[in-house]
Amino acid sequence: MSSDAPRLRPPHHRVDRRAVWWWTTRSLATTVVLTVVPVVPALIWAPPRPWFLLAAAVIGGLGLLITVVMPQWRYRVHRWEVTDTAVYTSSGWIWQEWRVAPMSRIQTVDTARGPLQRAFGLSSVTVTTASAAGPIEIAGLDHTVATEVAERLTETTQATPGDAT
Amino acid sequence: MTSPDDLPPRAPDGPADTRAPADAEVPWQRLHPLSVWAGAAATGAALVPAAIVGTIVLVVMGQYPWAFLPLPGAIAFLTLVTYLDLMRLRATRYRVTDERMEVRSGIVAKSYRSIPRERVRSVDVAAPLFVRLFGLCSVTVGTGEKVGAGGSDQLQLVYVTAAQGEDLRRDLLNRRGARRTGPEAATDAAGPTGDARTEEAAGEVELARLVPAWLAYAPATAATLGVGLGAIAALLGLNSQTGGVGWDWVSGRLGLPTPEEMSSFVMARLLAVVPLSLLALLVSGVVVLTLAAVETWWNYRLTREPDGTVRLRRGLLTSVSLSVEERRLNGVTLHEPFVLRSVGGADVRAVATGLSAADEKKTSAKSRLSPGMPVARARALAAALMREEDSPLDVPLTAHPRSALRRRFTRAGVATVLGASAAAALAWAHGLANETWWEHAIRAEQEFAPIPLATPVLRTTPAWGWAVLAVAFGVAAFWYALGSYRGLGHGLHPRYLVVRQGMAARDTVTLERSAVIGWRITRSPFQRWAGLADVAATTAAGSGMYAATDVGLGQGLAWADAAVPGLLEPFLVREGEEADGRAPESREPEGGGSRDR
Repeated sequence: MSSDAPRLRPPHHRVDRRAVWWWTTRSLATTVVLTVVPVVPALIWAPPRPWFLLAAAVIGGLGLLITVVMPQWRYRVHRWEVTDTAVYTSSGWIWQEWRVAPMSRIQTVDTARGPLQRAFGLSSVTVTTASAAGPIEIAGLDHTVATEVAERLTETTQATPGDAT
Repeated sequence: MTSPDDLPPRAPDGPADTRAPADAEVPWQRLHPLSVWAGAAATGAALVPAAIVGTIVLVVMGQYPWAFLPLPGAIAFLTLVTYLDLMRLRATRYRVTDERMEVRSGIVAKSYRSIPRERVRSVDVAAPLFVRLFGLCSVTVGTGEKVGAGGSDQLQLVYVTAAQGEDLRRDLLNRRGARRTGPEAATDAAGPTGDARTEEAAGEVELARLVPAWLAYAPATAATLGVGLGAIAALLGLNSQTGGVGWDWVSGRLGLPTPEEMSSFVMARLLAVVPLSLLALLVSGVVVLTLAAVETWWNYRLTREPDGTVRLRRGLLTSVSLSVEERRLNGVTLHEPFVLRSVGGADVRAVATGLSAADEKKTSAKSRLSPGMPVARARALAAALMREEDSPLDVPLTAHPRSALRRRFTRAGVATVLGASAAAALAWAHGLANETWWEHAIRAEQEFAPIPLATPVLRTTPAWGWAVLAVAFGVAAFWYALGSYRGLGHGLHPRYLVVRQGMAARDTVTLERSAVIGWRITRSPFQRWAGLADVAATTAAGSGMYAATDVGLGQGLAWADAAVPGLLEPFLVREGEEADGRAPESREPEGGGSRDR
């Protein structure tokens, strides 16, 4: 163990720039839905109307703030890297998380894309190991990049003998 | 999208015979027919007496038409359950071939599950009393693989004969036949102590056996008072359910004074009330917990079997035999809950693949390899399990930074403030409560207890009592914070990494360095301010992740880097080096990706 304290460097790659728009759309949709919830009773029920509208305003305001700030911030912190030996990701805009999984211990590699991601031409890559700690997810990659990454990971892990536990 | 070929050990659909013609001659086995009757007897033993009691009660109450309902209802229900069980029994088949274990089941939704034998991590043979009477047992096979989302990683056979169970236990984990595939694996299991292997050849090696004195550790839990409260509350509840008949009967027999007389007698000696009621709780808690420990740990034996498994046997009424492949035993946990720790006890748990159950709590219950025992004995047992002369548990642990202590003190401070506010609010409410309110409260308590104690005690508590409570709470919070900080530690052994944490329950976990399958480093905003992080090793074994909590970021990374050389190295920058903190921008990930190729 060396005396000077090591630090983690950020992974090399950012996710696709379009992911910002994907996150913005998603956050906006959530905000709209949550804001509408208190508006509905406000329309049909007169006496407590101001309170419901106030609640709607607060939720809407907070949601818009998050919608503006979060995607940019997340774009800065969501990073990934695949080397010959390991998968390395960083994520989290308030609670930070870094994950490392060695190639030899990867069990499955999946790509997935929801309707919204598909609209932006994006994909997510999910890397599963035998641990119950949960899979490593790289969300918001360009679809072709995601496919390439998944193929490459699959090739490498298949070349490794053993059951990855 | 794609997966390595060694993955989900589960056939898509359809019969096995098409995929493995070589196994065709291995006959399918059934569950034992008696298992239906064992189940029926168990259900009936609970249901029929209840129905009879119900009938009698209804007759006594004069509800004649209804009185004919419970017994036929119970019998009809029992018949239905037994019939369904019979269907289940008929539908279930299993077999163990050279390669795989296969189970077919399901009445309506047919299911077929097949796992390669080399995937079997643990075999759990359990025989509750009512099943044992029929000479049966249930077998749970742990595979260490979650099958499907939220799916179980276990195959269960309920029930087979004791002989079948023993066969399964012996065969499934016996790799002798399949040893050709990995001689190096066998050496791996034997570890550095080569002589242990010669010893092994002679037969099973006993690692631990129950010393009845250990059962005295059983009541040493923080829950003792609570269990005592539960036991007494159950008695009182029964008493009030029967309209106080029980208490009247007891006091009549023993010539006790009436509740009113006793109540005034006790209230006149208030100082004696609190210690006495605590003592009563304590005694009943001790009795219940000791009985439970006797049931669980009677006949406890932990052995290393010649076939490379570690076998746990225990249980008085429900006898349990759990076999874990030793190669899959990736470490141990020395579990020291606070009360047990303060009387010098500890227990040992396995960190192994294939022991996971439905949730965290069940997993850790299933992983228990020993009852509470003297801590020196527990450490020796842990070392023996890991086959290490110099136990990884004796590795000196590095303390975590002072800022981890400050974090805990901050939390304790917040808790103290909250506690003080709560005490102030209670004191205020106490002052507001008037005579009529107390009368109601006492009458309410009388509903449950023959002699109301709690409310009168509360009523006579002076106002400064709340202040004392608040101060005591604050002191406890800071003391807890200090203990919690002292519990933190991490260290390295040549083969194991060691982390320790916890105040209420201190867990020292050793995990084989070769079993680490990744790292997960997390920081909350608070940790970022304090320069701390949680550095967790992910693994297939145990709870899946073992963290050095609130470790200094640099300290933790250095530890992780040393524990698994090469894995974290490419992603670290040293303070001394020219630190290019910001990674080069790569607007086009495609370019980066192809370069890596």
